[in-house]
Amino acid sequence: MNTLLSAIGFGIVTASILAVAGVGFTLQFGVTNILNLAYGDIMTAAAFVAYLVTSAGLSVWLALVAGAAFGAAFSVLLNRCLYTPFVRRGTRLFGMIIVTIAVSLIVQNGLLAIFGANFFSLKMARPSSVHIAGMVFTTTQLAIIAIAIVAMLLIHLLLRYTKLGKAMRATATDPELARNCGIATDRVIDLAWAISGALCGLAGVILVMNVTAFTDTTGAQFLIPIIAVAVLGGIGQPYGAMLGALVIGIASELAAAIISPDYKNVVAFVILVIVLLARPQGILSEIATRKEVAA
Amino acid sequence: MSAAWQFYISTVLVYLGVDVMACWGLNLQFGVAGLVNFAFIIFQAAGAYTAAVLTLGPATKGGFQQYVGGAHWPFPLPILAAGVVGGLLAVLVGSFAIRRLRRDYEAMVMLVVSLIATSIATNQVGLVNGPNGLALVPKPLATMVNLSPLGYQWLFVGITAAICLCVYWLVHIVTSSPLGRTLRAIRDNEQAAAALGKNVTGLRMLAFVLGGVIAGVSGAILVEFISAWSPGSWLYPETFVYFTAVIVGGSGNNLGVMVGALLVPVAFLEATRFVPQFGPPGFIDALQWIIVGVLALVFLWFWPRGVIPERRRRFPPAAQGEARQPLTSTRTGR
Repeated sequence: MNTLLSAIGFGIVTASILAVAGVGFTLQFGVTNILNLAYGDIMTAAAFVAYLVTSAGLSVWLALVAGAAFGAAFSVLLNRCLYTPFVRRGTRLFGMIIVTIAVSLIVQNGLLAIFGANFFSLKMARPSSVHIAGMVFTTTQLAIIAIAIVAMLLIHLLLRYTKLGKAMRATATDPELARNCGIATDRVIDLAWAISGALCGLAGVILVMNVTAFTDTTGAQFLIPIIAVAVLGGIGQPYGAMLGALVIGIASELAAAIISPDYKNVVAFVILVIVLLARPQGILSEIATRKEVAA
Repeated sequence: MSAAWQFYISTVLVYLGVDVMACWGLNLQFGVAGLVNFAFIIFQAAGAYTAAVLTLGPATKGGFQQYVGGAHWPFPLPILAAGVVGGLLAVLVGSFAIRRLRRDYEAMVMLVVSLIATSIATNQVGLVNGPNGLALVPKPLATMVNLSPLGYQWLFVGITAAICLCVYWLVHIVTSSPLGRTLRAIRDNEQAAAALGKNVTGLRMLAFVLGGVIAGVSGAILVEFISAWSPGSWLYPETFVYFTAVIVGGSGNNLGVMVGALLVPVAFLEATRFVPQFGPPGFIDALQWIIVGVLALVFLWFWPRGVIPERRRRFPPAAQGEARQPLTSTRTGR
């Protein structure tokens, strides 16, 4: 009972990280229509930025801001300088996938070349532990959960109640139609890269806040649950991704507690396979089905 | 030629054979059928493990390596079995990954399959000896033929070349037949092919399985040659090397991807062997990967069709084609 409760506690923390990462991933895909396989590596890069900030003796809060800012700037530049030119040049869908995975390798090995094959950790004040409803959290974990809730609320407000959010949803559903309705889709796409990049950077930093050590492949490994979350939620569906994050976060931590920690990602993978077999369009997915037909 | 050079050259030739085979397999999937199989390397790995355990013999309890299904099969059988396992794994992966989904969706799922396969092989130590992998795989025929080590090297080059020819024959038949034409049609316009009554998912699955068989065989030859195999040799970026080779050589063209295999995994990676080491450990490897990534980007930008592009297939207009009887008759009838 006790292990189960604490596993659920861990699950909530993992779900929080996954929600931030998954919403960023799915939003980017939905609005820009580019599947960015370099996402995990940009997370790692943001984690290294945070590492540099904390190593300089600055606070971890500043590191979070720096990581998010780096993620946003890097994503916008990546899209402006590389992805969009390739698309304009007429690179087809498979070409673009290869482009993004090439970027992934370049970023990952760039980090390896700069920082070396070591284990790194953020320098933070030693957290104290807090008991809530039978679950034990460290203050860091509580901060992660709070950050995720705030980020998700902001995304919700943005998508529901602002013009930009409406424009994004319109662009995601049908870019041609959106442009014809007078939406500056290029600007919307830029902003989408910035917002999803910021979430990506934030996710990278909170991911490494929650682990004892990270390496140049930490983000790439985390791509397994992120993709599972995105597919479970219906790709391009931010709300689906939030729900998916909760399911996969808790399921994988329960499996880790009951079976073995090695099975964390396997559970995410099994859920991914089941979703692909039973409901490839995801759980929340009116738009996703339409896109699939259109593709 | 000195013995050392002969040894080196024969080794490189075997690697070349393995890479050429793998590139043909990937080309069949990616270049011809448009399947973005980012898990390609796991099919090679599955073949390698199969061949290894089938030549190593049953695992001894408490021995230094633990694995399942050990046996002492004579020479060509482990390689054939590797092909079968590669194909079966493709059926398994294809059953959930090759659905009527967007292609990028498919690529993403394949990438996850590759990552998860590595983590399973690493964590389940009893399966194929975990992170340490398998070693001391006996070389095929080594006890039967009485050759000097150098002579044996050249024998292995011969075996590899013979299997390469068989694989080429297979991919040539597929790509030059109506089946190949249909696969290219599906790659270029899935809806149109489906509208003409082609079983899109079934045919893509077929290409996927054939590619899996070839990958399995290539892995088997590699492991029989180097006699060791571990998860470190088949991380997902290795697949990317093959993708780069296919793109550089000319995706969709069997001859082109052969050149690609010569240029990328063999010439480029061998050339860096002669570069003096500098920087901290792992620095050169990291640079190598960066350069492979840049190479793929440069080719996709400047020469997306590769060094030897796929032949543009033109079908003669009805007026010139004497063989096209039905069309001519409708023309005269008009």
